[in-house]
Amino acid sequence: MNHRPFEDWLLDDQPLNPTQKRELDTHLRTCKVCSALAESNLALRSARLVVPAPGFTSRWQERLVLARRAQRRRTLLGTLFFSVGGLLLLAFLAGPVLVSLIGSPAEWISAMVHALLFIYTTTLAVAEAGSVLFRVLPGFVPPFVWLVLFSTLSGFALLWSVSIWRLMRRPQGVTS
Amino acid sequence: MNEEQTWILQAKNGSDEAFAYIVETYQSPVYNLCYRMLGEPETAEDAAQETFLRAYQHLHRYDIKRPFATWLLSIAAHYCIDRLRRRKLPIFSVDEDEETTFEIPDAQAPHPETEAVHGEQREQIHAMVQSLEATDRAAIVMRYWYDFSEIEIAEALNLTVSAVKSRLHRARKQLGKLWQETSTTAHVERSPYESPAF
Repeated sequence: MNHRPFEDWLLDDQPLNPTQKRELDTHLRTCKVCSALAESNLALRSARLVVPAPGFTSRWQERLVLARRAQRRRTLLGTLFFSVGGLLLLAFLAGPVLVSLIGSPAEWISAMVHALLFIYTTTLAVAEAGSVLFRVLPGFVPPFVWLVLFSTLSGFALLWSVSIWRLMRRPQGVTS
Repeated sequence: MNEEQTWILQAKNGSDEAFAYIVETYQSPVYNLCYRMLGEPETAEDAAQETFLRAYQHLHRYDIKRPFATWLLSIAAHYCIDRLRRRKLPIFSVDEDEETTFEIPDAQAPHPETEAVHGEQREQIHAMVQSLEATDRAAIVMRYWYDFSEIEIAEALNLTVSAVKSRLHRARKQLGKLWQETSTTAHVERSPYESPAF
């Protein structure tokens, strides 16, 4: 038999029957390549488990404490960075407005009063228009239109509630 | 549910004591994998510690139906592969720091001479394993030190079974070639799969 099947048996680590083992042993006496393969396979199988120095668990516990401390520090620094950054950005954006407000208080007080009056009068006008529509509109709209409108809205509300319920039931993240 | 799963569930619920028990139980297999992958006791210790830290931080992702050892060694292997790829340059050192690395002694060793020969062969094979490509190395270590099947290796390394077979084939060929180049008249008397890690 030629060299190839023996090399494949060794390289693929195939289980051999007694006849194949005998044939392989005979081949190994003459073939240096296959002999080296067989020896390296056996050396790998004879390799031992290397264990760490005593106190591994204690060292890991110390490392966990340090990792937690580092995590807390990172969180604190991140919060600090974003807070200071946010404040600086706010100061940069609001700075010119604040300066002008401080420079002429009478002007901004009158502008504020003007804005408040505008909001108040607009709200009153919208409320008045709404009440007129509320009184007039029912007479123009037939009852079946109201029925269709309320049914559609109820359907949407039901669909929304079912969607939320199904989303809440689905397990999140962890597979176990 | 067995005792190990009980500890794992307790650790999942936030018990540091339970996770310390897990570290105590799996320290040797994890350290051994890191040592065989990285080649140095100091880096192996660091990698093993980091593996347990990552396992602790991602324990909520562990599926209790899968073997814990496979999951843990998968984390270790991926970490070591990443580290080797970052390092780029392979390490061929076979020197061992006696203060930090301990091999489990073979209680059935018949003669000191035989034991010395085996010791030399172990050093030789350790050095040869260091020359393999990172993923091939992980596959070889899982196959020979942990008796993982090709399916288990595929799961642990996120490879297909045929890719694992191909990698093992290539790695064995490379190791055989190196053995032929470096070895003189080595002869190892040992049954296959005699000393699995578990």
